[in-house]
Amino acid sequence: MLGDEGCEGVLAWDLARGGVRALAAKAVILATGGSGRVYHGSTNAHACTADGMAMALRAGLPLEDLEFVQFHPTTLFPSGLLVTEAVRGEGGYLLNSSGARFMRHYAPEAMELASRDVVSRGEQTEIDEGRSVEGSLLLDMRHFGREKMLERFHGTRDLALTYAGIDPLERPIPVRPGAHYHMGGVATNVDGRTEIANVFAAGEVACVSLHGANRLGGNSLMETIVFGRRAGRAAAEEALGKSGGAELGPSARSGGEREIVKLLERREGERPRSIRDELGASMHENFGVFREEGKMRRQLELLEDLRERYQQVLVEDKGEVWNSDLTQALELGFQLDLAVCMVSAGLERRESRGAHSRPEDYPERDDQNFLKHSLVRWSNDWLDLSWKPVTITRWQPRRRAY
Amino acid sequence: MQIRLQVERSDPASGETRLQLYELELRREATLLDCLEQIKDELDGTLAFRRSCREGICGSCAVRIDGRTALACRTPVAELVAGGRLPTIAPIGNLPVVRDLVVEMEPMWQKMRAVEPFLRPTSEPSGDGRETVVPPARLEAVRKEALCINCGACVSECDAMSVSPEFLGPHALAKAWRFVGDPREEETRPRLKGLSGEHGIWECTRCYLCNERCPKGVDPRDAIAKLGAEAFAVGLVRDRGARHAKWFVTSARTTGWLRESELVVKTLGIAVSVTKIPLALRLFRRGKAPLPLPRHKASELQPARELRRIVAGQDRRGAQGIVQGERVLESIELVRAPERPAPEAEDF
Repeated sequence: MLGDEGCEGVLAWDLARGGVRALAAKAVILATGGSGRVYHGSTNAHACTADGMAMALRAGLPLEDLEFVQFHPTTLFPSGLLVTEAVRGEGGYLLNSSGARFMRHYAPEAMELASRDVVSRGEQTEIDEGRSVEGSLLLDMRHFGREKMLERFHGTRDLALTYAGIDPLERPIPVRPGAHYHMGGVATNVDGRTEIANVFAAGEVACVSLHGANRLGGNSLMETIVFGRRAGRAAAEEALGKSGGAELGPSARSGGEREIVKLLERREGERPRSIRDELGASMHENFGVFREEGKMRRQLELLEDLRERYQQVLVEDKGEVWNSDLTQALELGFQLDLAVCMVSAGLERRESRGAHSRPEDYPERDDQNFLKHSLVRWSNDWLDLSWKPVTITRWQPRRRAY
Repeated sequence: MQIRLQVERSDPASGETRLQLYELELRREATLLDCLEQIKDELDGTLAFRRSCREGICGSCAVRIDGRTALACRTPVAELVAGGRLPTIAPIGNLPVVRDLVVEMEPMWQKMRAVEPFLRPTSEPSGDGRETVVPPARLEAVRKEALCINCGACVSECDAMSVSPEFLGPHALAKAWRFVGDPREEETRPRLKGLSGEHGIWECTRCYLCNERCPKGVDPRDAIAKLGAEAFAVGLVRDRGARHAKWFVTSARTTGWLRESELVVKTLGIAVSVTKIPLALRLFRRGKAPLPLPRHKASELQPARELRRIVAGQDRRGAQGIVQGERVLESIELVRAPERPAPEAEDF
């Protein structure tokens, strides 16, 4: 909720009891996590539905570097659950449909130990060129032997047994690239502060630009521990620096209430599931590991269609208490908005950089034109894309080759 | 795979519950959570349940399946319907139901807050600017307890909580040990004193269901035992619960078995025990308790004494003795504990 003094608070739906609540605040921190569920195959929890990013967008804040999504190369089919990197670290093989260790073509030295983006691209190429097993590659741990498997990888074995019905002691497990982390997010400085002085963001929802166009495994911890703390401190200082109490006018709730009532009163329409599934599948197809002009344009058209259909989304549950049917419908709206922004930013970045790979039309990195951050804003239903310079201090960008 | 199951639904306004039957087609590897998701998507958008990570990390989706608490996301649905069974899914126990499979967790959080789940080091940092490193071996004492995901499965199963709702319970007590047993903690004794009081450590009835049903291998009952042992080690032995436990040890040492009829006197003291005589007489008459004489004595005293000797021989006091005792039990194969190696690293 915005007013003359910046952000005045947050409008919330009370999940436990029902009802729209207007929460007055002197400072607000967005800490809602990432957007992984925009993709059908994701390691992320069900709760990672881009809420914070979409809320910031609706409040007029810019989102930064949204085109950069990290795909993890070993997500278990069909659930998308993460199979730890340690499996490859300990010498697990990645095999294609003819049983070959295909990474020799993509990273002859590092093989399976190449970085996540490189392995994901290798896998996707195998899939696209018809050398997969029903869309998956095979992660082979059989040579670890029983003792090592039970001692070091009992959790992974348990995962494969429970969720894929496969014992990795006997058979390789099916894996494929899955959305794992969004490098982009709400643009902040190193104190988590956004363009609106008393709104902060921390964690995956934010883009401090710690990760640039790609992310090293483990650095999300720095995002939460270091920058979460900095954002918390800065927000506390901001709030303490304001005299008087946070207050809201009596009409604060009305806009939100109208929106909810409209959703709940609709008696006919389309259930969220089909829209959600089409969103997830098409984002993989058209905005996954590889991107290309034509596919991205098609995806934008498709997203327009999905957003149109979303206007008639049907919430079946009309109750007040713990109405997760309602909250999941709201989350789908956030996801659709964010997907449009992601693909739009991806279209404009006419180069390959980090996790944004366009082998068909722009295979090279182009520092001349694109050594810059993308910024997406949304005002009056108009998407505005701009750029801001990259601050380079000690480390010069270099080509990474295997 | 065709699935039939019943879900206990509840109306939040009236509090009335009913069983609802659902039938659906699922893929072979589907978990119970996948099943609930599909019901909500395709059959009934009004079904309420909690979930998030879908892989046993977040602790949101604990439910009771035919009375046994488990995480929906870790339960293959094929196992539930094997042999044509019709499983019933209900909310977890010992917490008020909000709606359908969703319970109010606040009472559990209150108890967790009551044990102050954070470290309280009192000494000054070394001042050299370096971090304090704890060798992994020293954290062994709290390794299992640190695995807790706050799912409430142990609370759901706790017999003692069902008759004594104020009992801190397995979740909060396991959390308490997580901090009492941490080598960096310096307020150990005051913590143990608080935990030894009413509704604390000694209210556990040792039914071991928390150990059995915990999806993460935390073994809350073991944590409670460690708290008790540590309370003994620092001299907190006057509580009735402590005296009760002490008698188990004495009795086992001297006659190999528990002498139940003397237990009351040892726990409550003579004055209070006198008031229990009518109850004792009724118990004797119905054969619910053995007569005090002749002394209840095991025919073989040796195994009990041997066990005690082995544990005592380790010269470990308090919780260390319990941790050691678990190992001893495993090594002499009186009890075979399931294999539980150290957790794997996770990617972030």
